[in-house]
Amino acid sequence: MNLAHIHLLLNHFPVIGTIIGLGLFLVSLSGKNDDLKRASLIVFSAVALLAIPTFFSGVGAQGAIKGQPGVSDALIDRHEGAALLALLFMELTGAFALAVLWQLRQHPSPARWNWNLSAVLLFSIVTVGLMTRVGATGGEIRHPEIRPDQSTAATDAATAVAPEEFWASRMVQKFEPSPAKFADLMTANKWWWAFMMDLHFIGLALLIGIVGILDLRLLGLAKQIPVAPLHRLIPWALAGFGINLLTGVLAFTGMADFYAYNWAFWLKMFSILLLGVNAAAFYLTGIFESADRLGPGEDAPLLAKFIAGSSLFLWLAVIALGRYIQWFHDSVDNISPR
Amino acid sequence: MALPSFLQTIEESGLSTWMRETESPFGFYFVLLIHTFGLALLVGTNAVVDMRLLGVGRDIPLAPLKRLFGLMWTGFWINAASGTLLVIAYPTKSLTNPDFYVKLTLIGFAVWTMYKLQTNVFDDSSLSEAAMMAKGAKLAKWSLLLWIGAITAGRLLAYTYTHLTYP
Repeated sequence: MNLAHIHLLLNHFPVIGTIIGLGLFLVSLSGKNDDLKRASLIVFSAVALLAIPTFFSGVGAQGAIKGQPGVSDALIDRHEGAALLALLFMELTGAFALAVLWQLRQHPSPARWNWNLSAVLLFSIVTVGLMTRVGATGGEIRHPEIRPDQSTAATDAATAVAPEEFWASRMVQKFEPSPAKFADLMTANKWWWAFMMDLHFIGLALLIGIVGILDLRLLGLAKQIPVAPLHRLIPWALAGFGINLLTGVLAFTGMADFYAYNWAFWLKMFSILLLGVNAAAFYLTGIFESADRLGPGEDAPLLAKFIAGSSLFLWLAVIALGRYIQWFHDSVDNISPR
Repeated sequence: MALPSFLQTIEESGLSTWMRETESPFGFYFVLLIHTFGLALLVGTNAVVDMRLLGVGRDIPLAPLKRLFGLMWTGFWINAASGTLLVIAYPTKSLTNPDFYVKLTLIGFAVWTMYKLQTNVFDDSSLSEAAMMAKGAKLAKWSLLLWIGAITAGRLLAYTYTHLTYP
């Protein structure tokens, strides 16, 4: 198992998963089926989460094949630029999907349509289009048989990419950043870097403050506080997470090799995925309902305590692993010499 | 202007040298991690109480939040201890950096604000919720601003120092 493996495994989720999510979403709208709508929003949220390690592992996949005969740096850069643009819209889709899921919880009989749903529809359609391009440009790196010019001759690293034939690709290409230029932009000014790290810590404090207090309440601390009002602060915690996701991705693109070849970084990503699983266990199984109705002085059920404990442990692990990224510098081998 | 020699004395001590140079993961990085946990506990909890006093999550009853001050003071003492160890590890780096004194000043004001919130708003059981919010709103606003300032000053330490160790 290496980073190239992980990339090839994970990339199916953002490319195929978004199509499935959109399909379910459209069927739910035409059939006016609320359960299906909720399911599609959960799919969008899950795929948005999985898209993050997919993007990061791409650096490892690049490292594995860069410089080999028949591998074009220009094709790899084109794929990475497309992926960065698609990631933006993927995360926006996920954020709005979570917003709708939140609204559905707070108001059991909501209005049939609202702005958040419109945003999910718009951003998911754009994401599916962009992810199709990411998948295609990714495949073309190693599969000359699907390239438009049908060329099977080895393309060397210096070959420029042929102009796009499809009009939509030509249009989108203008918005796709060049990975090298984007990286330079992130690292050009140390005060920009300091600012991003500063926001990362502020987001951390907001996130842990809210989630931590909620988890501690479920575990039995300060039981006079009723759970439901405390839980309603969660959107603020997710805003903190959003700040950290944004600053984290920007930092990664600035110093991709530093983060990608690092055990602490990957364990941190894995902990965040486990937190997604933990959240799914909390919200999709009825445990949330049993916890949400707790009034002052009432003790949480054992399963809720287990989930709260896991949540607290995993968030502390995320902080610890993040702090140790510097310590674990260069801890993952490149799998081919560069 | 020569740097005061006590900085070198601290740096040459066994504890300081060990924290900087050890191969064990429990040296400087571990102390820094504990400092981050303390920050999350202190600032995270204080931020939630501040937000509540400013009207976010109005249906959270104010009186029980008094219990959370225990968490905040725990976070504070964890950071006072870990912070001291961090200064011992890199005395020249921290004590010759003006930003470090800015950080300590902001923390001082933020903790003083936290103390006033605890004694004037939460410890006074005769106050109604409305009275608590009226009394606490201004302190809460300043608390948030001061903590954001303290975190920023702390984060900038890595980018503003002039000497890593005694020259």
